[in-house]
Amino acid sequence: MKTKKFNWSQITRSKITWAIVAEILILLVCFIIRPDFFSISIQPSTGVLYGSLIDIVNRSAEITIIAMGMTLVIALGGTDLSVGALVAVSGAMALKLMRWDVLEYNTPGDYTVYPFFLVLLLPLVTCTLMGLFNGLLIAKGGMQPFIATLILMVSGRGIAQILTNGKQFTTMYSPFRMIGQGNLGPIPMPIVIMVVICILMGIFVRKTAFGTFVESVGVNRSASRLSGISSDKVILIVYALTGLLAGIAGLIYSSRIMSNDSNNAGINYEMDAILAVVIGGTAMTGGKFSLVGTFVGSLIIRTIVTFVYYFGIVSEATMAFKALIIAVVIVLQSEPVREYFAKRSEARAARKSA
Amino acid sequence: MMKKVLAGALAAAMCIGMVTPAFADDLQIAFSQIGQESDWRTANTDSINGTIEAHEGWTLVYDDAQQKQENQIKALRNFITQGVDYILFTGVVSTGWEEVLAEVNEAEIPLILIDRLPDCIDDIDYVAAFGGDFVEEGRRQVAWAGEYLKSVGRGDEEVNVVIMEGTTGASAQTGRTEGNLAALEEYPNMKLVGQQTGNFTRAEGQAVMESWLKSIDDIDVLIAQNDDMALGAIDAIKAAGKVPGEDIIIVGCDSVKAAFEAIVAGEMNATIECTPLYGPFVEKTIEALENGEEMNKEIVHPEEGVYDMDGGIDLGTVVSVAAKDVIDERIY
Repeated sequence: MKTKKFNWSQITRSKITWAIVAEILILLVCFIIRPDFFSISIQPSTGVLYGSLIDIVNRSAEITIIAMGMTLVIALGGTDLSVGALVAVSGAMALKLMRWDVLEYNTPGDYTVYPFFLVLLLPLVTCTLMGLFNGLLIAKGGMQPFIATLILMVSGRGIAQILTNGKQFTTMYSPFRMIGQGNLGPIPMPIVIMVVICILMGIFVRKTAFGTFVESVGVNRSASRLSGISSDKVILIVYALTGLLAGIAGLIYSSRIMSNDSNNAGINYEMDAILAVVIGGTAMTGGKFSLVGTFVGSLIIRTIVTFVYYFGIVSEATMAFKALIIAVVIVLQSEPVREYFAKRSEARAARKSA
Repeated sequence: MMKKVLAGALAAAMCIGMVTPAFADDLQIAFSQIGQESDWRTANTDSINGTIEAHEGWTLVYDDAQQKQENQIKALRNFITQGVDYILFTGVVSTGWEEVLAEVNEAEIPLILIDRLPDCIDDIDYVAAFGGDFVEEGRRQVAWAGEYLKSVGRGDEEVNVVIMEGTTGASAQTGRTEGNLAALEEYPNMKLVGQQTGNFTRAEGQAVMESWLKSIDDIDVLIAQNDDMALGAIDAIKAAGKVPGEDIIIVGCDSVKAAFEAIVAGEMNATIECTPLYGPFVEKTIEALENGEEMNKEIVHPEEGVYDMDGGIDLGTVVSVAAKDVIDERIY
């Protein structure tokens, strides 16, 4: 009898498997310490899902959205350091448009000066153009992605500061609040936005040839060009798209706090996004990539943060604790470890058939 | 070639034009500021710069270091080269200033330390020092909550307290935490059940509170080491179906206008002032020094208030004032 063979060695060789194993392990530790970490209920006053697991998914939205773009950037063999700064630009711009009338620290209210669609559209267009600028420097200017995106990483936050005169504007405009604090049925809005973006990205890269183009350019740019792929166009699209996604994350971030916080919005997001991609199994050298892996990677990062808050790890040890867990995850995914487990399962399979 | 030289000369002239003060016989007062980081910092810069610029016969030489120590060191050396008359200095970090401040001493330029004082303060020469008393602010936060509970007849009730700390290692965090913990000893009914950093930001204050509400049963008092984190926490408390200001007593710090608005709206209970308005002190000090008066080397703390919903809570060193009475005067 011939059944479809369940190939253990292939599964243990896959980095995504280990990312999922790591996430399950962390959650298991949470469960052992406090089973109520897993409790999920409907908050009666708001009708929204309520629980630590919901918080993890909800607050991972910004990094997940950015990391979707970052996955393609890294698959191209690049990096985008500017995404954190673009988060700040997007938020500053949205707040500036809503509070154009802000005469030196006046009281916020439930209104917007410019129409809501502009509040959403202009920051997104600006961030897309900034992403396109990154792409142009890399594709047409031949600059190293690290250096090219460093320009906006440094100046972006300055632009955000200039937009709001170095001040923090606050608003109480309720449609804007919907983005980060609203809900669709029982599901928090950031989760809805994140899921929609993940699905759209999945369709874009896997149902069209674009994903293959990205992998091809990431492996060998000149060979791809010779085989008829417009490498430059692929690079431009990927960086512009990442800019757009950073802009969306910026709107969510600023809506959560109903304010722009140009100093702190999106700080270290570039690092978290790159980390999510790497944990998810996409190699920094470019080529093959996995959006699902990135999604899991982002969840792992947020799970660690929530763990720290929930179990009250002392502030001084927080950073070291995060670093420790991430180090363990990365080691689990390393070539020798995966090889070891793959060999073991192969050997087991061989014993069984013998 | 000629064009290049001209352009270079023009650029150089522009640079000089930017840093050279208008009148040579004016008193040149240089200020090395950390850079823009918060509304508090903006109000601080506006207060000091505004005071100096408005003063007759004084010229401001201002440098914004964009949060970088190397920029500040560069600025201080520029001040020495320009031969300014006074240097106002607050350091972005607390260490690594020995060498450059020694150079300032060698140049015999009077040094006025403000806000964040350097660790090497005992090894350098300065004419005056002025800064907030973070430990006292931390003490006041807990004392306000303790006294308020007494005033509403909950002085003997056991209450659960959480402390949301600032950026780990920042002088405001270490000082306020020290004050928080010391004051908790004075109020045995207040039990510390949680302590975590919210990095002084709204977003993290919100996320930390969100987790606390699930992991800690029955939080009665939130001590947030700045107003931004308190404001973030308010949203998380609402999302959990609780009433901020009633179900959970919230005490912030800094006294920014947004906190006053929250207090007036009944969503926050109190905020301990940490004033950014250093202009008057700077003015008084320099005028005194110009008149040949010798200044006391002791660190001077600004007079600061405590603001809450109704006022009248006595903290020993200060009595609270109702926020609604002063909200209109608040400019930052």
